[in-house]
Amino acid sequence: MNIEDLQQLTQFQVDEQPHIIVNKEICKSCDHHACVKACPANCYTFNEETKLLSVVYETCLECGTCYVICDKGALDWSYPRGGYGVCYRLT
Amino acid sequence: MAKYFDVIIVGAGPAGSLAALKLARAGLNVYLLERGKYPGAKNMFGGLLHNTPVLNEMLPDFPERAPLERHVYKKVLAFMTPTSAVSLSFENENFEQPPYNGYTVFRPAFDSWLAGEAVKAGALLLCDCTAEDIIKKDGQVTGVTVKGREGEMRGNIIIAADGALSFLAKKAGLRQDFKSSDMGVGIKLLLGLNEATINERFHLVRDQGADISFVGMTDGIRGGGFLYTNRESVSVGMVVHLDSLKAAGKAPYEVLNEFLQHPQIRKLIKGAVPLEYSAHLIPEGGFTAMPQLYTDGMMVAGDAAGLCYTNGINLEGINLAMTSGVLAAETAIKAIEAGDFSAKTLSLYKKKLDDSFIMKDMKTFKNAAGMMHLERLFQTYPQVLASIMEKMYRVDGVPRSKLLRLARKEALKEVGLKDLIVDGIRIGRALL
Repeated sequence: MNIEDLQQLTQFQVDEQPHIIVNKEICKSCDHHACVKACPANCYTFNEETKLLSVVYETCLECGTCYVICDKGALDWSYPRGGYGVCYRLT
Repeated sequence: MAKYFDVIIVGAGPAGSLAALKLARAGLNVYLLERGKYPGAKNMFGGLLHNTPVLNEMLPDFPERAPLERHVYKKVLAFMTPTSAVSLSFENENFEQPPYNGYTVFRPAFDSWLAGEAVKAGALLLCDCTAEDIIKKDGQVTGVTVKGREGEMRGNIIIAADGALSFLAKKAGLRQDFKSSDMGVGIKLLLGLNEATINERFHLVRDQGADISFVGMTDGIRGGGFLYTNRESVSVGMVVHLDSLKAAGKAPYEVLNEFLQHPQIRKLIKGAVPLEYSAHLIPEGGFTAMPQLYTDGMMVAGDAAGLCYTNGINLEGINLAMTSGVLAAETAIKAIEAGDFSAKTLSLYKKKLDDSFIMKDMKTFKNAAGMMHLERLFQTYPQVLASIMEKMYRVDGVPRSKLLRLARKEALKEVGLKDLIVDGIRIGRALL
């Protein structure tokens, strides 16, 4: 499975309002950025040059892995507004 | 339509919908809130709906009416190394008799159907509603605020069946922060494969299904793989502990891809077409990680209550969820009869859980959560087992040892005697 194909495989109802907000200042000084690797949907990227952590909330599977493993309290994470976000058809 | 409800249930999963069905049948005003577009839109599990007596009691004809895939006939436990697999396969004609021991199901289909049964009985289902916070009055929970269809919902009793990451339980002060050592993440790829091919490859007929668990193919990360057969697809995935995943610094889908490339797995899924990819948290902390189950005006059920356990052999959650939902509903009925929604009255819920198989099983396997943190269980021991099997079968002109001597020699190559004894005791305490 190629994670790049996620949007072809799984359906999302994208909200214009993000449901994950990262605290870029805290993430700058984070020593592990574990969220980048652990996210099952590959939503996080850390730019080594700019030292900025960014999140693509649009393809978030809402599992909460990042929220639970972040030990810096850098994530403002909530479920999307009703009706938005991932929408499983078969699983 | 009543503006004030007897009971508000948050989450139209198996716990919430069965609670709603029970309450609606008792003639109470029930509101069932669901954050997805439809029930099951946010829900995922490996694939097995276990036999659940309360489901059989409340919906005796569900096997004819519910959207089910296959009943599970064959159980396999496989220990893997990158080049081999040692498996124990159990096929049982007694699993061919109803009530079947379990069915593979698709959650969007099954959860929608179950919520529909509650609606038919008179419950009000409201989708597109994310319950965000609880409303308290004089220390008692009296409602929830909703994001999506903005507003407030009020009722005498709230049943939080809002899943593994229950923000409502946390906001009500019933639990601490979620800990990575108590949580696993399940990821799953649904693969389309035609019915005849599935039957041939897994040696099944009619609507027989297989449930295969794999240990040892998670790249040293604590966890395991699974494969369930549906009618025209197989669900393949893995569950890994979050703390171990974090420490390994690996992407879960990369570990899954390696698993799918294993020679044994590749044969099983050859030619299959990816249909859907999903992920969900699983409360794997067991008995000691459970939150408090009730407070004034509120009860917690299903995954939200941490009602899930694994001991390496059994992995149960959906049956505990449905049963806890019904027990919470029974408690709510008593509380409404008495007109008293205090924690004291709702403590009956805890008593009912204690008297049921739920808490008995949670307690029986309370040491299993610790055992599942033994690193060696997930790579070293499968390796030892495979080496023993290889030596046992290989014919190469080298004089043979008797089995115990062979096993001891192979085990000591990988693990020190002291560690072997310590692990043996921990496994023994958890399972024996």
